[in-house]
Amino acid sequence: MTFWWLAWKDLLIIIRDKKALLTLIAMPLLLISILGAAFGDIMGGEEDVTIKKFDLGIVNLDKGPLGGILSDEVFNKELSDQIKVTYYQEKDLVEKINNHKLSIGIVIDEDFTETVTTGKEAKVKVYTVPDPGIKSIIVTTVIEQFAQMIPLEAMANGAQPVQGEIQETSSSDELNQSLLQETTVNPDTETVGSFQYYAAAMGVMFLLMTAVQGVSTMILEKEQEVYKRLLLSNLTYLEYLLGKMLGLFIICLTQAFFIILGTKLLFGVDWGKSVAGIIIMTFAFVVSTCGLGVLAGSFFKTEKAFGVAGMLGTQIFAALGGSMVPIYVLPDAFVAAAKVLPNSLALQTYLDLMTGSSLVDIIPAISSAIALGGIFFVLGLIRLSSERRRKYA
Amino acid sequence: MNILSVQELKKSFGKFDAVKGVSFSIEKGESFSLLGPNGAGKSTIINMITGLFPPSSGEIQINGIDVIKNAKQAQKIIGVVPQEIALYETLSAKENLKFWGRMYDLSGKELEKSVDGVLEIIGLTDRAKDKVSTFSGGMKRRVNIGAAILHQPEVLIMDEPTVGIDPQSRNHILETVKRLNNEGMTIIYTSHYMEEVEYLCERIGIIDHGELIACGTLKELRETIGDRSRIVLTLDRGTSVDILNVGKGKFPEKDIQLQDNKLMLFHKEPQLILSDLIQLVTNSGTRVTSVEIIEPNLESVFLHLTGRSLRD
Repeated sequence: MTFWWLAWKDLLIIIRDKKALLTLIAMPLLLISILGAAFGDIMGGEEDVTIKKFDLGIVNLDKGPLGGILSDEVFNKELSDQIKVTYYQEKDLVEKINNHKLSIGIVIDEDFTETVTTGKEAKVKVYTVPDPGIKSIIVTTVIEQFAQMIPLEAMANGAQPVQGEIQETSSSDELNQSLLQETTVNPDTETVGSFQYYAAAMGVMFLLMTAVQGVSTMILEKEQEVYKRLLLSNLTYLEYLLGKMLGLFIICLTQAFFIILGTKLLFGVDWGKSVAGIIIMTFAFVVSTCGLGVLAGSFFKTEKAFGVAGMLGTQIFAALGGSMVPIYVLPDAFVAAAKVLPNSLALQTYLDLMTGSSLVDIIPAISSAIALGGIFFVLGLIRLSSERRRKYA
Repeated sequence: MNILSVQELKKSFGKFDAVKGVSFSIEKGESFSLLGPNGAGKSTIINMITGLFPPSSGEIQINGIDVIKNAKQAQKIIGVVPQEIALYETLSAKENLKFWGRMYDLSGKELEKSVDGVLEIIGLTDRAKDKVSTFSGGMKRRVNIGAAILHQPEVLIMDEPTVGIDPQSRNHILETVKRLNNEGMTIIYTSHYMEEVEYLCERIGIIDHGELIACGTLKELRETIGDRSRIVLTLDRGTSVDILNVGKGKFPEKDIQLQDNKLMLFHKEPQLILSDLIQLVTNSGTRVTSVEIIEPNLESVFLHLTGRSLRD
């Protein structure tokens, strides 16, 4: 049990250091609140975006049936919650737009059905006021999707897309269902908002920094006479490393607890539905981080040398792991490769939990993190015990 | 009965031979000192005895335990007071002692009793709850010693424990060590303060350049210089080695030494030859600025054996 007393001593020293305590608890919460607020617009997520219902003027000149389906079934019926359709003559529509009495209108060309069914470029004129906002995007997107879906539907039904041979079975309901299915990948997936993202990203980064700080203290102790005295006591190398890791582990776990609970209570951050998942993943991440820290601590001889390397390493890990730039903007292959870093693995797993993953879903990540921590610890132990032999042999 | 036996101990760091075949033994309950200037190899010998690192060759046995093979077992009966303060400054004296006691597997009432006893011995019971950072250098040294005796070791190894402290704390430490020795604890004490060594230790080993150049009781060591006093004449600046020629024929050449501007002569009856010596130096055209007669002591022994002062 000597390792426990070594850990207890480290905790006692930290608890009495008010500055260190402030950095441990208050700093992460402060930074999360600043970044969360600053990048709120970029991330979206929990911030609701409301699109007001708007008017759409339609002139349907199509000789075939698809112009009618697009205007009547799609715009007028299926999108009736978002769009109010009014039918015009082309002249009247242009006049309304010019007078700013209508902000957007479309003219469906007389060859619309023919061009769509033969896979040619569909002809629909879109008239808008100079700055129609998102309305223009919505309308053109619906038309494009409609034009793309008709040939696919026809092919799916075994028919050649030839003019005038649109099958009766291709109803507008089926078409719109296909459109909706295109844009909704998984209806159960939650989106991650800015506060959520930065709560996880900053939390992970601060835990990494705490581990670095803990290792720095460990190396400083190694430079001092107390380390020699520890080695002369009944403490073995294994107990020494266990004690150091346990102390660091408790400190990191306490910090994680404050970050998770603090962001939930102060900023309403939703860490996901799986409380067990969050707790166990945090435990696993802290194990891997502390293991990495202890390994680093066994390699460096001076705190000064580690100070530079530790600072640089933390920044690189944080950058690669998504704590600085959202991982969504990074290439998928890079994001997958970055999972070898404990912080990246943890952040990605937290995000998975936030988007609705369960404990079972993240078991591979938990296992990987704990295994990484174990490997780091064993390497650190081998390194520390061989150091004495190599140094003095 | 020997509690420590060191045989042909050697230690090399690369091409540098820090310890060159040192052998000595210490009896149970004895107080033994390793005396030598800085860099002589004292701390290297101590580190090997405590099992901190192994020797290049040689044997070390503590109470029959082979230190090289069973360092952890040997360490259980050793207490080590390092040269520097090895304590946690933000913890109190009592917390420090408790922590170090736990590192020696003490717990519960045994630990409490031991800590209270040690606080009493080092005279810091009333400051037990104060942080070590608020202590003077001397008080820190006392806690530093206290941390080494919590588990009641059979052998207490002290590496220059009084460096840089006030006379009052120094006296307290010396008295504490004397008391522990009187109670049966074996003491191994390294220092370059001769007066401490003379006061505390029954036997002394003199180390220089990694070799044990003399070992014995103070009386035995004094006899190596024929129990002679040392006459020190401080000469005017600009003295050359030619001054050594003035005594040739009158005094044995090996008994005269010149260090900087100090001419030294070893003699059993300094009063009888002092005036002749001054006359000879003055006649050579050199002015004598001061005269000192030093009774035979360890410094004289060391000087006689090595030609150097302990603090060089």
